Amino acid sequence: MNHIPMRMNDPILRPQKLTRRAMAKQQTRQKVLQAAREMFIERGYEGATIRDIARAAGMSTGAVFASFTDKPDLFDAILGEDFAALLDPMKDAARTAPSARDALVAMFGAAYRAHSAQLPLIQAALAASWTRTPEAERLHREALRPLRALVIEVLERGVDRRELTQRFDLRLIADVIWDLYLAGYRPAAFEGLSVETQTDKLAERIDLVLAGVKA
Amino acid sequence: MASVRETQKQGTRRKVLEAARELFNEIGYDETTIRAIAERAGVSVGSVFTTFASKADVLSQVMDDRVEALYAELDRVTRHLRGTTCDRVRSVFAIHYDFECRRVKLFLAHIAASFSPSLEATTIPYGRNSRFKAMLVDLLAEGVERGEVRADADLDLVLDTLMAAYAWNYRLAAQKNADATVLTAIMERQVALIFDGLRV
Repeated sequence: MNHIPMRMNDPILRPQKLTRRAMAKQQTRQKVLQAAREMFIERGYEGATIRDIARAAGMSTGAVFASFTDKPDLFDAILGEDFAALLDPMKDAARTAPSARDALVAMFGAAYRAHSAQLPLIQAALAASWTRTPEAERLHREALRPLRALVIEVLERGVDRRELTQRFDLRLIADVIWDLYLAGYRPAAFEGLSVETQTDKLAERIDLVLAGVKA
Repeated sequence: MASVRETQKQGTRRKVLEAARELFNEIGYDETTIRAIAERAGVSVGSVFTTFASKADVLSQVMDDRVEALYAELDRVTRHLRGTTCDRVRSVFAIHYDFECRRVKLFLAHIAASFSPSLEATTIPYGRNSRFKAMLVDLLAEGVERGEVRADADLDLVLDTLMAAYAWNYRLAAQKNADATVLTAIMERQVALIFDGLRV
């Protein structure tokens, strides 16, 4: 039995019409994102044109621009999705680790693993991160906020469990570790390091940073 | 004796690099076209391409040229550095921030370009600055001799970690227009944190 046409005829549910339009718009957006993701991975940021992306999504370039203002906007939307998708695996990895140090290594290891299939995308993202517009930068930072909060949370838990002291501002430590995590993508992209080696290298750096605040 | 053609080529090279350095810093790397560089340098687009393989190559050469001025400054200053190893390492970073922030847009373009998957053979991306690294390793090794840095510390690892912190702090310049003073203050705290773990 199909009840959807019935609902469409029901005048009380007229606002559904708007929702349907919103849904259609959402679907178009998703189609563009999917096609763009594949294009960026395949051809890199510079190589992928809006025209190619539109063609791959089976729509006009005008339809792409109805959902996204320009290529950087589209690219940031994909990145935002990817970072949002990292939150749960990173949380899971952090939860099961026995110590704050292990939690950090595990959660960033999970992030490296999740990104390993799309290093060209990350590489383009890191290149873009130095020249964003202020508005794009604000949105991007908003997308990263839950992940960065998670790093602080793990450090706070380490302090609560008396593994770490508060001799240094936890935010300072979290920022350094975050930067070391990002820096780890470069050798992965250029030297083809495995996820395991990439994670081991980060673990060494995390140990170095935490050495001064170990309880 | 250099041939006339060789002298001309050197002149073109110098003019192009000067024009590119200004334009990259004024309007940004992405926005600068080879045509605009040629125009400002007063040379033809064709002659830019006989000297450089690509825009990325021009950027790389601009950055390579700046190194001379930077290290002339560092050589003058480093022998007068005082204080603990930690203090001296901080000073070296402070000098770098001060220098690079004079043309910060140019430097950000240099970092951004180092992530490009299509580097030319002649392009030297950010992160291969061996003199910078050598200077820091010397300071760290001296720190071990002075008994300020643990003898079993992995100095390459320390160097790598310091360099990563140094480089990524520029994101504050990119995102919040932070100047050299702000970057130096943050780096000072980060160096202190890392050195705290290196104490004997």
